[in-house]
Amino acid sequence: MKYLFVDLWPWWLGGIAIGVLVPLMYYFLNTALGVSTGYGNFVKIIMPASKLRWLNSNPYKNKYNWRFVFILGMIVGGFLSARSSGMPWLSDSMGIFTDTLKWSLVPNILWFFAGGTLLGLGARLANGCTSGHSIHGLATLQKSSLVATVFFLIFGVLTTYWIRVFLFGGA
Amino acid sequence: MKNRMGYLLTGIFFGFVLSRTGASDYNYIYWMFSGVDLKLALLMGTAIVVGAIGMMILKALGNKDIHGQEIEINRKPLNRNTVIGGMLFGVGWAVSGACPGTVLAQIGEGKILGLFTFLGMVFGTYLYALMAEKNPEL
Repeated sequence: MKYLFVDLWPWWLGGIAIGVLVPLMYYFLNTALGVSTGYGNFVKIIMPASKLRWLNSNPYKNKYNWRFVFILGMIVGGFLSARSSGMPWLSDSMGIFTDTLKWSLVPNILWFFAGGTLLGLGARLANGCTSGHSIHGLATLQKSSLVATVFFLIFGVLTTYWIRVFLFGGA
Repeated sequence: MKNRMGYLLTGIFFGFVLSRTGASDYNYIYWMFSGVDLKLALLMGTAIVVGAIGMMILKALGNKDIHGQEIEINRKPLNRNTVIGGMLFGVGWAVSGACPGTVLAQIGEGKILGLFTFLGMVFGTYLYALMAEKNPEL
């Protein structure tokens, strides 16, 4: 039990557990695994009266559809993992980032908000994120997912290099 | 909406696994992108192979879901925006140390800054809705 609920899982176990979701979701729910489309539900929940065409397109006819439920479930899953493994209830830490830079709360908030903005916009332009493109899309052998994933990784590596050299001082 | 419970349980499982494997930990993202520890890259590679094998099995069994309906794969378009979006997403992934899935696990874990990554993603999605208003191709 400690192996599953307290220790960090090995990569192969996590890979199997996430990989099987692709065929299982198609078989039981006839749905493609994917998270980022569901962020549009939250835009609509915040501004329900918006007349923007895209917010009223097909996936968002019902803002409390399966994507909303799926996202809530993922938050609950993180909560259960934190409780079973003894993480603190609340933390303002972000690992190496906050340990190295020791910024105050406001710049930290702006940094992570900016990162999120790029993720949100980028995922919609690319039509998917790590789960929809890199896991589901590659598992279903899609060319667009290969292109998206290659650019995710190249720009992730370049940006991390920049952070390491210019923000962390080469640490 | 049918299957509400199925989606909730799948979400709980997915969030739990992302958190238990370290995918929701800033450090593992940073280590993957700087080549120090490729655990998450190996995890993703394993997931892709396992998913692909599972999809082949489904296809061999007739490509039908549990209710006997044809399984329709969600096909994603490939165009200039796949590249532009991919670039923006890659930068955002490294800046926040999270992706749209793992940030949800972070929120559940009680990581306050993860909540701001999430709000940024909602804002970024809104920016896309604004762009789509002026560009009928989006």
